[in-house]
Amino acid sequence: MNAAACYFVNGMESETSAIARGLRRRDPELLDRLIEQYQHRLLRYLIYLTSNRELAEDMFQETWIRVLERGHQYDPKYEFSTWLLSIARHLTVDYLRRKKPASLDGLLNEEEGASLDPPDLRPSALQLIARQEQAEQISAALVGIAAEYREAIVLRFQEGLALDEIAAVTGAPLGTVKSRLYRGLNALLPLLKGAQA
Amino acid sequence: MNRDPHQQARELIACGSQGLTDSQQAWLHTHLDECASCRDYSQAAEQFVRSLRSVPVAADRALVRTTQMRVRLHADQLRHRQERMWLVWMSCILVGLSAAITTPFLWRGFEWLGRSAHVSNPVWQVGFMVFWISPALAASLIFLARGIHLTDANGTSRG
Repeated sequence: MNAAACYFVNGMESETSAIARGLRRRDPELLDRLIEQYQHRLLRYLIYLTSNRELAEDMFQETWIRVLERGHQYDPKYEFSTWLLSIARHLTVDYLRRKKPASLDGLLNEEEGASLDPPDLRPSALQLIARQEQAEQISAALVGIAAEYREAIVLRFQEGLALDEIAAVTGAPLGTVKSRLYRGLNALLPLLKGAQA
Repeated sequence: MNRDPHQQARELIACGSQGLTDSQQAWLHTHLDECASCRDYSQAAEQFVRSLRSVPVAADRALVRTTQMRVRLHADQLRHRQERMWLVWMSCILVGLSAAITTPFLWRGFEWLGRSAHVSNPVWQVGFMVFWISPALAASLIFLARGIHLTDANGTSRG
């Protein structure tokens, strides 16, 4: 390992160690900072996982409450984001199982066609329309594929998680993660092509 | 076993370029140079990733503030609960110590009282037992009666 990589790894470890120490103390300043820092990533993941913004926002709050309660279990050997997303996933899957004892697809079928309703970022009207259309196409295509494929694709291509990190978040073997990405992309690309045609 | 090179290429594309080893990347590049269909697939995947990353899904300020407030409130409740539990444990330790120190003296006191009052040994011994156990019984009853209230006060703030 060269010096720069070593410095980077050590820097990451000291940051995750600081987070672990703060979580054990239930440091409110640290928690505020983490909520700010990971707000968009966590909410995006939850929206794509549940296909329901309101539910995603509820799960967003519950995830941080769980982080507070279980902070002492965080192992600084791993990235905080991986641990955070896996907590969010467990909470959401538990909730959906209680709500409807079927797979996540059950909920998706119920809400098929529901837009993810991305908020405005105040660009020009034309940009807004184009962006909105594109967002709707992407959202519709993602809703059209199985939840486990969608989750793998969002974690890989939107959140930029490595394959082993996705395996850690989802609790699936590495081979399954690769297969979900492949099958998901295969299912998704024709849907996007169809939407653009 | 020879695998279908097109499927293999698409599997590698699906893993994303950062998830590949150097040799896998080199093989993929060579394959894409030769295969128009897989090249189209790769371009479509790249286009999808760009589009996905440009989708503006963001948390709003109200959600973040509400979450921060809820987390702070819950942290306070957990801290209070911990403090109360600490007090309960300290009380238990003190009571235990005090019982260990005073029991022999009490026993002798009851023995002396029994002799002075000319009662048989079992009578003053039962009296000692009742006297000795009654504070613990009273405390247990109070804890049982207030148990639900304490849980509520610690777990779900009732104000």
